[in-house]
Amino acid sequence: MRDTIFTRNRSVPVFIAILTLLAIAVTILSEAYGTGALSVSFTKVLGMTLCLCLAALAMDLVWGYCGILSLGHFAFFGLGGYMIGMWLMTARTEVVIRANLASSPIPPTEAEISQATALQIFSVVGAEDWPWMWAVSDSLVLSLLLVVLVPGLLALVFGWLAFRSRVTGVYLSILTQAMTLALSLYLFQNDTGLRGNNGLSGLQNIPGAEGVGQDRISIWFFWASALALGLCYVGAAWLVSGKFGNIVRGIRDDELRVRFLGYPVEVYKLVVFTLTAMICGVAGALYYPQAGIINPDEIAPIASIYLAVWVAIGGRGRLYGAVIGAAVVSLLSTYFTGGRAPDLNLGFYRVEWIDWWPVLLGLGFVLVTLFAPKGLAGLVDYLVRKERT
Amino acid sequence: MIRLAIAALVGVVLSLLPPGKAAAQEAGGPDLQSILQQNAELVADASRRTVQDVLDILIESGLPEVPAFLATWQARELYQRESDGLFFYVEDPDADPLTLLDITSGEAVGTAGSREVAQLRPNRGVQGVIAAALVQFQLGSDDPAERLSALASIESDPDESHLAILRDMMETETDADVRRRVEALLPALVIAFADEDAPRIEAIQSLAGNVSLSARATLNPLLATTLEVAEALPEDRNVAAQIRPGRDALSVDDAYAMLVDAGLAPPLIPRSERVDVLAANILDGRVGGVPVAELNTEDARDRAYAALVEAGLADPAPTEAEVAEAVRSYVFYEVYRESSAAVTTAARETLEGIETRVGFYRVLDLSLDGLSLASIYFLAAIGLAITFGVMGVINMAHGEFIMIGAYTGYVVQSVVANETLSIAIAIPLAFAVTFAGGVAMERLVIRWLYHRPLETLLATFGISIALQQIVRLVFGALTQPLTPPDWLAGSVSLNDVVSISSIRIAIFILGAIFFVLLWLILNRTRLGLEVRAVTQNPAMAASMGINPDRINMLTFGLGSGIAGIAGVAIGLFAQVVPDLGANYIVQSFMTVVVGGVGNIFGTLVGATMIGSLQKAIEFLNPSNTLAAQTYMILFVILFIQFRPRGIVALRGRAAGD
Amino acid sequence: MSTLLEVSGVSVSFDGFKAINNLSFAIGLPELRAVIGPNGAGKTTFMDIVTGKTRPDEGTVRWGEMGHSLLSMSEAQIAREGIGRKFQRPTVFEDQSVWDNLRVALSKPRGPFASMFDRVTPEDEARISAIAQEIGLSDHLRRKAGVLSHGQKQWLEIGMLLAQDPRLLLVDEPAAGMTTEERNHTADLLKRLALSHAVVVVEHDMEFVRRLDCRVTVLHEGSVLSEGSLEHVMADERVIEVYLGR
Repeated sequence: MRDTIFTRNRSVPVFIAILTLLAIAVTILSEAYGTGALSVSFTKVLGMTLCLCLAALAMDLVWGYCGILSLGHFAFFGLGGYMIGMWLMTARTEVVIRANLASSPIPPTEAEISQATALQIFSVVGAEDWPWMWAVSDSLVLSLLLVVLVPGLLALVFGWLAFRSRVTGVYLSILTQAMTLALSLYLFQNDTGLRGNNGLSGLQNIPGAEGVGQDRISIWFFWASALALGLCYVGAAWLVSGKFGNIVRGIRDDELRVRFLGYPVEVYKLVVFTLTAMICGVAGALYYPQAGIINPDEIAPIASIYLAVWVAIGGRGRLYGAVIGAAVVSLLSTYFTGGRAPDLNLGFYRVEWIDWWPVLLGLGFVLVTLFAPKGLAGLVDYLVRKERT
Repeated sequence: MIRLAIAALVGVVLSLLPPGKAAAQEAGGPDLQSILQQNAELVADASRRTVQDVLDILIESGLPEVPAFLATWQARELYQRESDGLFFYVEDPDADPLTLLDITSGEAVGTAGSREVAQLRPNRGVQGVIAAALVQFQLGSDDPAERLSALASIESDPDESHLAILRDMMETETDADVRRRVEALLPALVIAFADEDAPRIEAIQSLAGNVSLSARATLNPLLATTLEVAEALPEDRNVAAQIRPGRDALSVDDAYAMLVDAGLAPPLIPRSERVDVLAANILDGRVGGVPVAELNTEDARDRAYAALVEAGLADPAPTEAEVAEAVRSYVFYEVYRESSAAVTTAARETLEGIETRVGFYRVLDLSLDGLSLASIYFLAAIGLAITFGVMGVINMAHGEFIMIGAYTGYVVQSVVANETLSIAIAIPLAFAVTFAGGVAMERLVIRWLYHRPLETLLATFGISIALQQIVRLVFGALTQPLTPPDWLAGSVSLNDVVSISSIRIAIFILGAIFFVLLWLILNRTRLGLEVRAVTQNPAMAASMGINPDRINMLTFGLGSGIAGIAGVAIGLFAQVVPDLGANYIVQSFMTVVVGGVGNIFGTLVGATMIGSLQKAIEFLNPSNTLAAQTYMILFVILFIQFRPRGIVALRGRAAGD
Repeated sequence: MSTLLEVSGVSVSFDGFKAINNLSFAIGLPELRAVIGPNGAGKTTFMDIVTGKTRPDEGTVRWGEMGHSLLSMSEAQIAREGIGRKFQRPTVFEDQSVWDNLRVALSKPRGPFASMFDRVTPEDEARISAIAQEIGLSDHLRRKAGVLSHGQKQWLEIGMLLAQDPRLLLVDEPAAGMTTEERNHTADLLKRLALSHAVVVVEHDMEFVRRLDCRVTVLHEGSVLSEGSLEHVMADERVIEVYLGR
């Protein structure tokens, strides 16, 4: 009778196996440690895709399992990126500045280095002092802590306010979207300390690894992303397979019943919302060093909607569904918008994928919602069941 | 060229001088050219001091063509022929050869290469004197319009000499308009140029309560100050305030810099300079005995520099204590540029009164701004109030209907050139197009999702990105023009503070019309009744013979159609781009939610609140509209915590607990 | 028998409509009470007030031996105080198995971290089996609740109520959609429960109420019209008038 993580989530061993195989295959084909069949940039795309899958996993927990359609989780993702980005940019710029000042006849003081670093980073927005939010940007440990703390804290405060006053359903979605919009508008301002619409750049240069080529760095980040995804997948599976999962799904299906059973529904929602925000923060912190640049556009409300779209296409309420959706849609998007897909010549009209992909994606999404509410994972379920019978 | 035209006009006016006077001149006096020839030296090489003599002679002559001549001369468009020294006008200064015109008759009298004639270029001082003479001419004109235009030129460029003229005019002027203008203008001139305090103070006080820009521009210079430093406060100066360095708006460092500039203290050695001195004195890897490698702290540098000073290799730099002491031993103060204390006091008091009034008008202007923003939000959200508020359908593509409405306007305008006509066509057409779009969307997508609101959100979002991209493919991503008719282009202003553009008034009126119309439709028609019936209980409504499918379809079409009309209106002042609607969607949803779902009155209240709030925040931080939006959204998020059902909340079972 | 719940002078109105009008009601432990009344009499609103779903405009709701107020508590707190509720329409977690439904209802710590690390003990297992036995769903434990029949869902919800181990049970139309045999079983179960619990049953079916054989409270227009044995209230002129029309 007893349920375990594996009896409830038969996908876990399969998923871990596939992920391991993928990691091994990518390593063997990589430029740094293998045959070199995979270019550095494609390795990065794969690593970034894994991070998006991780964000989608979090989105699935909060939406698919808990029923909260958050249109703010990509903002948490971006915040994680900003948090690690501040350290990357500070440390990297400082290395460059130190190298520049090394030749001066009088060795520079720490204050001078800090000042020059700040000038280098912020002159683009017409400032020269460190904004308060960069206070711990020189410490890797503290920055890593912020990667989870800042999205977590924002989610905690926002969630507490929203759940406490029982904002639910589409109202909550609109409220989270408003939060995302407010955050991105805030970041767009030049004087708020995160370089306005310039964002943070040069994140692919890892301080302390100046002698290491991007070929190796890309594969390291790929491993890290795979590890994070694997761990979070197992953790999420454990979470949803136990009583906590029952209650959370109960909240999704019949909030009132859960409440009358004596469970503090708001606290459960808050736990899920905050936890998934933290996972998104981690995913973002792994993603943006691979992307190399982060700017407020990344956080725009539309990004969070895309995240929901991936989960819906993949199939929500199933952990692997989220991962499949994010992987398939984001890889296809990369393919079609990357300019590598050959144009389709219809004779009377030339279909350029870069232009038509958003149209297809939008319409495809309508079709999935209408005709395949269980998404791609529903297809997987169907095939698996068919095989068994 | 414009000056030539003015000169011509002046000529025409002066030719209407009383015939007796003109006739007297005609009878015996010499013509213009000969007068000029007598004073050719003074004309050709005019200086500020000597030109008045020539002007006096010219004015004395009373010749009708004198004003035109003066204007041309002042405009540096007068030429002198090298061969005989005669003066001419030219037809086109850029032509070669130049066509010479007679200065009396204006007829062409020959041509000349640019080398054969010299262009007269009176300097700025001379130009000023000529202009003053011209103004006298104009003010002496019989035509009130002419006198008004002369006053306008005085206002834009007042001169000491005008004061007496205007004072005279106050005595003699009979035309009411001109007199009013003189009365308005005189105080500024009195304040600027009168010699005694009493009339100036009187003039200042006469401006009390006058919120016009020119009144404030007259008073503000009187209160301009300069920052000065001395050992004690001077008795004989008009001191505005004493400044305490470090506390008032003057840092100790800046204060010390002032002392240095005034030669009252030795200069500081900036850190960068000190590093240069240190670098210049490296000896065997040491500076003043301190190893170079250790010079990466301020402490070590202090020691090294001190050692250099000791050895006489560097100038001593004042320490912080010395700086503070120096600053403390002097007095810093702001002194008025205006020397009369009575004048500055009167100006300050008057200006304070004006500022209070201006403040009041600012609030009024801000309220109008807020109201106009509110009506824009209302327009953008009103369609949503029907589809989302009444039907409960989340339509993320609502913004795209607005965008399509705007593009409809653009397409109509590219076919029908007349702006008024094109807008008149565009409004019903936009309604038709988006109504059809809404109905199609409802039939094809939304009706399958009535019980899955979150999925409606995502499906309509899919439609939204598809529509946006299709429009981008068809029309391009660039801004397309949608020009308002001329009668909407201006603005209505109450005074220099309060003004509102006509188009915003039109949008306000449009919003009001929409509100009334929709309220009537929902509350006073059969359709409205059926809509409410279907919304509240579809099964019951169906059993009473209402076709819910038809009602849902029509309601959705209505909401979308209104979005289309809103799009035309918004397109008139915003940029018509494919993501036009996306910029409004979040605000629109917030407007509906804040106002309270389920009734359009709530949307009105919500729009008013969000609009005025955003303007108020913008007022507090005018440089940053992004910040205003950010704080506005944060406020809305907080507001919803306390009124989750909005301002105009339906209570009880009807609210769907 | 001591008073467990005392509702006194409670009124609530929606948009001017007085759903509950100066209602007073008390129940002791143990006791079985049936509440009847025509549609719109305020039966469900009464339950909403007791369970914290609706806040009354005036009046007091006191609970337990200490008699502290329930009005400032959330629904979940009230439930944890020991008030269980079965809804008119069966509400079970349709997407989850019967076993899971019962497990979630079991009276154990309600906090999120307690749930995360909750382990199914042999006692839990035994209790779930016993309840399943009681409600006749032993053979359906692995099935999803959504595929059960209407009557079985009613049973499951009653089972969840039992698993919650409350002191006061508010049961809204438990017999709807059941066969006669099932009804009898339900009535017997409720009567047995009432030996150690306070049970309030809202029901339309007079046959079922008769079988419960307990004190009856008649609600009308938001206040108590009559109270006493079924025979007593059925003889009451006003009750007859309300039920049969004027």
